[in-house]
Amino acid sequence: MSQGASILKSNRKNFLYGAGLAAFAVLPWMLGVYNQHVLIVCLFYTMMAASWNLIAGYTGQISFGHAAFAGIGAYVSGILAVKAGLNPWVGVAAGTVAAAFFGLLVGLLCLRMGGIYLSLTTLGFSEILHIIINNEYEITRGTMGLQVPGLTTSYSKISYFYIFLVGAVITLTIVYKLVHSNVGLNFRAVQNDERAASALGVDVVRTRLLAFTVSSALAGMAGALFGHYMMLITPHIPSLDQQFLVLSMTVIGGLGSFVGPVIGAFCLEILSEYIRAWGEYHVLVFGLVALVVARFAPKGLVGIYKAWRGKKRPETA
Amino acid sequence: MFAIASMNGIVIGVIYALSALGVSLVVGIMNVVNFAHGEFYILAGYFSYLFATALGMNLLAAMTLAVAIVFVFGLLVEYTLIRPTYGDDLYSLILTFILSIVLQNAYLLIFGPYPNKPPGWVRGATDIFGLFMYGNQRLAALVAGTCVIVFVFAMIKLTWFGRIIRATSQDRGMAELNGVNTTRLNMLSFGLGCALAAAAGVILAPVFPVTPTAGVPVALTAFVVVVLGGMGSLRGCIVGGLTLGLVENLGAAYLSTGYKHVFGFIILILVLAIRPSGLFGHKEA
Repeated sequence: MSQGASILKSNRKNFLYGAGLAAFAVLPWMLGVYNQHVLIVCLFYTMMAASWNLIAGYTGQISFGHAAFAGIGAYVSGILAVKAGLNPWVGVAAGTVAAAFFGLLVGLLCLRMGGIYLSLTTLGFSEILHIIINNEYEITRGTMGLQVPGLTTSYSKISYFYIFLVGAVITLTIVYKLVHSNVGLNFRAVQNDERAASALGVDVVRTRLLAFTVSSALAGMAGALFGHYMMLITPHIPSLDQQFLVLSMTVIGGLGSFVGPVIGAFCLEILSEYIRAWGEYHVLVFGLVALVVARFAPKGLVGIYKAWRGKKRPETA
Repeated sequence: MFAIASMNGIVIGVIYALSALGVSLVVGIMNVVNFAHGEFYILAGYFSYLFATALGMNLLAAMTLAVAIVFVFGLLVEYTLIRPTYGDDLYSLILTFILSIVLQNAYLLIFGPYPNKPPGWVRGATDIFGLFMYGNQRLAALVAGTCVIVFVFAMIKLTWFGRIIRATSQDRGMAELNGVNTTRLNMLSFGLGCALAAAAGVILAPVFPVTPTAGVPVALTAFVVVVLGGMGSLRGCIVGGLTLGLVENLGAAYLSTGYKHVFGFIILILVLAIRPSGLFGHKEA
């Protein structure tokens, strides 16, 4: 393919993405309040799954603390708004910074040991956060939930939809820019062969630390926005169930692919709204589906699609 | 208070050590951390409750059967889920984590959210050196836990099977060259790891009733013990388990009960900051 044709193709691709985004942006005007809510939650999970994918899919480090970092964002922002009377938007920024800070600390502690240590420590971290939230009842209101003000003066689903849309676009842009930069090249080099990458001068620990900190910060932002949207922050935001949902969305959509987490987030959230009618089976059902996908199609829906297209048109694959 | 907190610490420490042994064994041989470890522990607790209470079986038989079933279940999990991920640590972490959530929700569906408790083995309490009265059930748990640990160590240090385990965890390639079927050994050791979690479960269930999510703190503690003792070190599990049991219970007695499990996490942070390879780990982990 010549240079010109590839630019044309990428222009067409950008145009298609732009058109899709514009079509999506007018969608809530045609939907009822309930469906608007579902879309907002979809966008929240898109932010969560895309940022988790940054650390898990592109650097191969499994963090079980992603929901916990979202919880830190939510609680920091919420507590600042309730106890200090801060503007919620300042709170969201503070929550993002706090999540980045804790991400940096956890990362500094265990990323030099590699692989398993990060998973163990983040799992412990999320459990500890739970205990602290439940014990510091005066500040966090424990399982009762902390009532927080909304982001806008007059509550409307449409404005929250746009806030979350902007949040999701920011998250996806940061992930895209990072992955398609020299740093992103380092990410993949570290994932493919740590020793070779380090021999070629890639600072393995610093690369992982950067990915983990950015990923945690994005989770913190998503959590803070979500807390102000629900206007009630409960320990469910930093729970392992939530972590599991984010993980399954990414795995089912396609770990390590850019669109995979977005597809996974939308599919699973919409599906869970339908399954909810049958009772609390949806976590179990998603678990079984995720187990089958992770075992038989580790690249998720995106991988299945690529394999199918590759079979259909082997000459262009 | 110091005496009774220490006693509690030793009893629970032995169980921590037992449960950590299962994790450490699997890490040493397969380099896989089983995030569903706590759920296997709970599964055995539920089975022993079912067999002993609902079916009215003999206690010892119910416990043995529960451990045996969990062992077979562990073999199946290794065969169906873990085996295809060899060489890819990422997916074994993801798969065992999903499995743990699936099992938790399945327990919730089958057994409900209520705590279940198999009948105790013994009644009454014993006077310990004239200091305090201590529940016989906890003493029995201490004895049973110690027996299982001694049995595991004897198996690893004295038998031919133990020699294979030690050889494989030291150098996998060399063990294969000497004719060890490492694939089958992986399966057996994963099952054995689950069976050790199950043993801890049946021993502790009469003291701490089982609920669908009660396995999470147990598994986390086992992971902290494994990091503290050094990944793959069995001796480290014993020292680490007792240390953690004592620290948690003394901390709960003197500082704060609500933060009991946080003390373990503080130990984890200290180990990672000061000596990441753990007490008995190799330098290169």
